[in-house]
Amino acid sequence: MAPRKHGPDFSLSKTWEDLSKNIREIQNHNASNLSFEENHRYAYNMVLYKHGETLYNGVRNLVIENLETLAGEEIVPTFPTGTSDPSMQNDEEDVLLKALRKVWDDHRSNMVRLGQILKYMDRSYTKDANVPDTHNMGLQLFLDHIIKPPIKDHLVSAILSQVRHERDGESIHRSTVKGCVDVFLSLEVDRDGTTVYKRDLEPVFLSESQDFYEKEGKRLLHSCDGPEFLRLAEERFEAEASRTNHYLSSQTTQPLLQVLKDNLLTPHLESVISKENSGLDAMVDNSQFDHLSRLFRLCRMVPTGIPCLQASLKKSIIRRGREINQVSLGDDLGDANDAEDVKEKGKGKAKASALGIQPAVTWVQDVLALKDKFDIVWQNSFQSNRELEITLNDAFGTFVNQNEKCSEFISLFIDDNLRRGIKGKTDLEVEAILDKTITIFRFISEKDVFERYYKGHLAKRLLHSRSASDDAEHNMLTKLKIECGVQFTQKMEGMFNDMKISADTTKSYLDHVSKTTAPEIELSVTVMTSNAWPMTNNPSACILPSQMDKACKSFEQFYHSKHSGRRLDWQLNLGNADVHVRFQDRSHELNVSTLALVILLLFENLGDDETLSYSDIKGATSIEPDELKRQLQSLACAKYKVLRKHPSGRDVKESDTFSFNHAFTCPMKKVKIGTISNKVENKEERKETLERIDEERRYQTDACIVRIMKDRKHMKHNDLVNQVTAQLTSKFSPEPMLIKKRIEHLIEKEYLERCEDRKSYNYLA
Amino acid sequence: MTRDTQEIEKKSSAEPQDQWVRLQSIDGFCYLVKRKVANASGTIRNMLDSDAGGYAEAISRQCEINERGIIVEKMVEYMGFKTYYETANPKEDVPVKEFLERIPPEIVLELLLAADYQEM
Repeated sequence: MAPRKHGPDFSLSKTWEDLSKNIREIQNHNASNLSFEENHRYAYNMVLYKHGETLYNGVRNLVIENLETLAGEEIVPTFPTGTSDPSMQNDEEDVLLKALRKVWDDHRSNMVRLGQILKYMDRSYTKDANVPDTHNMGLQLFLDHIIKPPIKDHLVSAILSQVRHERDGESIHRSTVKGCVDVFLSLEVDRDGTTVYKRDLEPVFLSESQDFYEKEGKRLLHSCDGPEFLRLAEERFEAEASRTNHYLSSQTTQPLLQVLKDNLLTPHLESVISKENSGLDAMVDNSQFDHLSRLFRLCRMVPTGIPCLQASLKKSIIRRGREINQVSLGDDLGDANDAEDVKEKGKGKAKASALGIQPAVTWVQDVLALKDKFDIVWQNSFQSNRELEITLNDAFGTFVNQNEKCSEFISLFIDDNLRRGIKGKTDLEVEAILDKTITIFRFISEKDVFERYYKGHLAKRLLHSRSASDDAEHNMLTKLKIECGVQFTQKMEGMFNDMKISADTTKSYLDHVSKTTAPEIELSVTVMTSNAWPMTNNPSACILPSQMDKACKSFEQFYHSKHSGRRLDWQLNLGNADVHVRFQDRSHELNVSTLALVILLLFENLGDDETLSYSDIKGATSIEPDELKRQLQSLACAKYKVLRKHPSGRDVKESDTFSFNHAFTCPMKKVKIGTISNKVENKEERKETLERIDEERRYQTDACIVRIMKDRKHMKHNDLVNQVTAQLTSKFSPEPMLIKKRIEHLIEKEYLERCEDRKSYNYLA
Repeated sequence: MTRDTQEIEKKSSAEPQDQWVRLQSIDGFCYLVKRKVANASGTIRNMLDSDAGGYAEAISRQCEINERGIIVEKMVEYMGFKTYYETANPKEDVPVKEFLERIPPEIVLELLLAADYQEM
């Protein structure tokens, strides 16, 4: 066969007639009956013979014609009828969206078929003519002839309506909506890639959602309790996220969730948290960790959430804390009355003093319980969030420090535990108790007050050998050291040291006297370094009976022989003594305070009926009146009446007389007579303590100012105050007024001088 | 038909039927070609595309090529050549020169037109 020739037998009209007929067939889904080769060649020839434009416009018109037909036949009949029945509406919308999708699929497959036979046109003609190729022409024509009013408006409102149905709890065909939304997503309206979805659907969808959630938020707030609101709100978040994932677009997820946050959470969170009977407080009270976790999750979504939660937590804790403070205060007052009642009824003193520490123990236990409660919530529900931890600590600190006795209470609590609480407990349990106490201790802002009380209580424990466990004591001390540094515990360690040295000293003294002349009284001495112990330095004066005096002298002699130049002061009010006393029935071993022994010895050589008056005793011992009354009370008016008071009664008056109670009986051989145990201080004691603390603070402030000025030589007033505050905060929070006063005091003492600018100071060496 | 049907590649019985398509020249020569090889031509690829229906050729898997047998044969040779070297080791030299030498000068122009039409 000869080479084929492209002859002049090409006829434009004939070719186009055949081709256009075939294109119509393709649009009627009859492509399978057509020859590709034939139609491709038609298009090829048309382009080859320079009739590309005719071909292009012809095809374009055929596509438009077809689209208009499809719109008229498939879409327009499915327009909503305006029924008011929601389920009818739902069905109608479904049909409309399906129709659109069908037209789209049809059109797209047509365009693929056309694109295949028009390939040569796309390669040669469209580029030169600068017109869109077949594929893009198809998209453009679809936009112009289908996605236009009124079809577009019906589609958009159908999609919105479908969403509304689903939000109202009806079920819809998600796949149908997705089919239509996908069409919107694949149609670009400009060169930047903005889609029909972005232009025509998303904005109205978002504003519709905004309206919906504005109403929904208010509705939920009024109709639901706190947990229910949170549950539903979270469900809404999940539902909307799933909606955008399943049949909208992921690009809408963030803006839509923002709409929810702005309308459902931000305006209502505060009201929900503070709802009475179902808000934060109720959830904490009922340990509803699930609800609290949800609350936390939701709060974390919006910027105002966490601060709002923080504020409410703080409020809640402080309110609870105040109640605890109130109870302890109430107990305190009630207890004072009780104690008086007890006195009048003549009951044992031991019981009264046990009650004395009860408010402290209760308070600390309540605070610990509260702390535990919130810690558990924090761990379980708040994912151990740092910000919230700070809030919790802050809130606890606030109310703990609002109880002005907090330091004393905590120290008493520790005292109680170290004396008897930890007996029979394992090391681990003891450790846990101490650790817990430390957590409250951290909240105290005035650590120096605590230090004072703790030292006092520690001293009493040591001197009366009341400490249950040496290990526990040291353990506690280590913990305090870790919290506050070496300086804080230095003196306490000094106390322990003194105890140890004293034990050795006593032993070598006893060795010494056993070799020489032993005094009648066996003596055990604790030598206390005066600045380490919290005791007053002026010992209560007392005239000692000769046997006791001798014993003291003997020890002094021994001690001075070892350490010359040291001064020994006897703190008789802190000591105690064991003494054998012969009563009518039997003899008892009495354990009494040293001063009580001094008093008892006065009765040693008296006849059965002889009495001593108060003033006799006072004269013979010269014990201070308050102390003397207390000692007499414990001997004559408490549970064990070794002395008789005439007339009998609860209080010791200066007109009373006393006699030895020969008829004293007691089932036990050993009798311990009322050492006064610790209890919460009364007002006067407290005042005294505070005065001492104030004094100490003045010294500390002075020292601190001088230290800083020595270093800096010259400083502005404000800087100095700030520095001092910063350095002292670990111990207490100094008032600016106090610092100012101390500065003036130091100027008077000529440590500092005021500069001429009246705003700064110079250090004077 | 003046000449026997030639088979360019041996048909393997394990491969499914639709792996193979028949190319027929205007003067009656038939070439059984693997679909993969036939797809080296854009036009034939479109012709055989059977996504959602397709044209008559896609259904019958028979393509009438409006060229003489000698042209179709060279096209098929080139399609095989192209398909092979597209997937071959890139280090291997493509013997373009040898291929060009195998084209008889008298069919060059006709082959060129056919190649343009067939988009290959």
